[in-house]
Amino acid sequence: MRNHSLKANLTGYAFISPFIIGFLAFTLIPMFISLYLSFTSYNLFSPPRWVGFNNFEKMFTGDPKYWSSVKVTLYYVFIGVPLRLTFALFVAMILNTGSKMIGTYRTIYYLPSIIGGSVAVSIMWRNIFSEQGIVNGLLMALGAAPVQWFGDPGAALSMLITLSVWQFGSSMLIFLAGLKNISPEMYEAASVDGAHPVRKFFSITLPLLSPIILFNLIMQTISAFMTFVPAYIISKGEGGPMDGTMLYSLYLFRQAFMFNNMGYASAMAWVMLIFIGVLTLILFKTSKMWVFYESEGGR
Amino acid sequence: MKMRKTIALATMVAILLLITACGNSGGGNASGGAQDGKTLRIAWWGSDARHEYTQKVIDLYKKQNPGVNIDIEYASFDDYWKKLAPQAAANQLPDIMQMDISYISQYAKNGQLEDLKPYIGSKIKLDDVSENVLSTGLIGGTQYGIPTGVNVLGYQYNPELLKKAGINEIPANWTWDDYKKMAMQAKAKGVYFDESMAADIFFNYFLRTKGHSLYNAEGTALGYEDDALFTEFFGTLAELIKEGAVPSQETLSQNKGILEESTVVKGTGIGTWQWSNQFVALQKVADRPMALAPMLGPDMEKGIYMQPSMYWSIASSSKSKDEAAKFIDFWVNNEEANKLIKGERGVPISSKIKESVTPDLTEAEKQVFDFVSEMEPKASPMSPPPPVGSAEVIATLADYVEQINFGQTTAAEAAPKFRADANAILSNNQP
Repeated sequence: MRNHSLKANLTGYAFISPFIIGFLAFTLIPMFISLYLSFTSYNLFSPPRWVGFNNFEKMFTGDPKYWSSVKVTLYYVFIGVPLRLTFALFVAMILNTGSKMIGTYRTIYYLPSIIGGSVAVSIMWRNIFSEQGIVNGLLMALGAAPVQWFGDPGAALSMLITLSVWQFGSSMLIFLAGLKNISPEMYEAASVDGAHPVRKFFSITLPLLSPIILFNLIMQTISAFMTFVPAYIISKGEGGPMDGTMLYSLYLFRQAFMFNNMGYASAMAWVMLIFIGVLTLILFKTSKMWVFYESEGGR
Repeated sequence: MKMRKTIALATMVAILLLITACGNSGGGNASGGAQDGKTLRIAWWGSDARHEYTQKVIDLYKKQNPGVNIDIEYASFDDYWKKLAPQAAANQLPDIMQMDISYISQYAKNGQLEDLKPYIGSKIKLDDVSENVLSTGLIGGTQYGIPTGVNVLGYQYNPELLKKAGINEIPANWTWDDYKKMAMQAKAKGVYFDESMAADIFFNYFLRTKGHSLYNAEGTALGYEDDALFTEFFGTLAELIKEGAVPSQETLSQNKGILEESTVVKGTGIGTWQWSNQFVALQKVADRPMALAPMLGPDMEKGIYMQPSMYWSIASSSKSKDEAAKFIDFWVNNEEANKLIKGERGVPISSKIKESVTPDLTEAEKQVFDFVSEMEPKASPMSPPPPVGSAEVIATLADYVEQINFGQTTAAEAAPKFRADANAILSNNQP
């Protein structure tokens, strides 16, 4: 009997082993190696040299570019994510009106997100806003001067944020599912009581949607902090002009793979991990104040 | 029941074995057929056109050397170095690698590359190669690379637009003063004279004309002491941008690295400063007659040098070094192969090969060959290749130059800051 259950377990382990091996080999072990490397100076060529907290010290006290990348990233996240979520909710509400073509619209609006993170879209974005691109063509047709969208240090980051807002699809789908879950009876009851649409939105839609907003907020914040591809493609990997598009992960990448400062880059990655962890925790804690769970009777 | 589970278990084990086996053949190419010494791994970076003809050259080599198998790995420039560094760390470098001047020191100093001196003469025949060219592959006195070809700096321009700007020709032995005057004249006619200069390359050129260089010979610090040199050079460039003789930094940043958006191609600018091997691509995209002019002086002869466009190097960990050396010899000396290469990796280093491929060249390619031949006797020896840490120094320099050109700081203010930053980076990278 015991022998039999051992065998059954073995079969189970065998079935999950591809994941376990992959997880160990490609996630957990590299993570701990990176933790070790963050306390070393390592250029890939000579063995890592233990330097204690030097990397962290340099990051916090001796590297202005680091802080500039932190600033750019915070801008990107704290402006980009709310904009994207607002836009996603807005589109979701429009799509929730029950038009017949809804399926088609949903697909069309979701499309940018499927391809949005990809290299091709970033290149397309660059072309649309290039010096002789379609946007400048329109501006010139209207008699305005062409704008160097990616050449102006102030404008370049806004271009990245706009691109991220445009990729609203996945949050939109989740919002849409949430909206469909709100019982129509509530709206009917509110109509009987004479509530106008704005009142309905703030008193019914938003509270009942708040758990979904929290979910989207956390997922989008985390992914926004890790944004890399558009900044890399649009700035040609340099984070320019004037470090205007030097997002944290791009700076990390440059330290690691352009300058071979693997130790410093590992340290940067761990600081980022801890920061995102703390931020997520704060979001969860403060969510008690604004997220409404129907199942808990509104507690 | 029991039977079925046993079968399931056996299947799982089989699949797992298969997965690990696949993993092995994918990553373990390095040691592939090294035991018989007849399998070579060769890696390079470049465009699709380069991949195509390189494959043809390799096929030709395989045809002439039956029994030799060659595995190829190629990527874009940036990706190439991201792949190569981990391979170096894992001691699995390809037998033959294309090396760049800005990276070769790092690989050489860390013992990753083979000294090629013993192979020269026996395995690699270099009798038709000038000493000035061959010595560009020396790092600290050791021959770690064989140049694939050479380039030289110059001004590449559209002669028709130059005339339209009221300038008949680029004068022989032109100076910085001529240049500034001509740039302002072009501006008055509504065209740009150039697109500014790549900071590290042309600052190094400028320093060389003054008897210095960007890095010192040991690679431990910058090669100049006087911040006034920095101020003079970058101050001049910023001034031309401010005057509107050169596009604004916004425009430069926006269009950086996009050939189609360059002012020369769009017909709003007369010319651009760059390496001679970039001329062919520029002419092709611009699709109009173009010309090459030497660098400006004074002391142009002290400034210019034959720059290896890239090197072939052999990994010190290679188990097929003789065969690798034979391939490099084939690349340098085989006529048929060079008719495929056509100077795409720089003007061939062998004078014999240079002559024999000339009849097959296009007009633009011929212009480049002629320009390089004209400059070769005038050129001075190259400064030592950029030291370890230079990538970070160059990025730092580019940052400061951007700030100067955007008007956020002045060249005089940036000069001492750059010196301090650069020297700190270089000393950090000393073993």
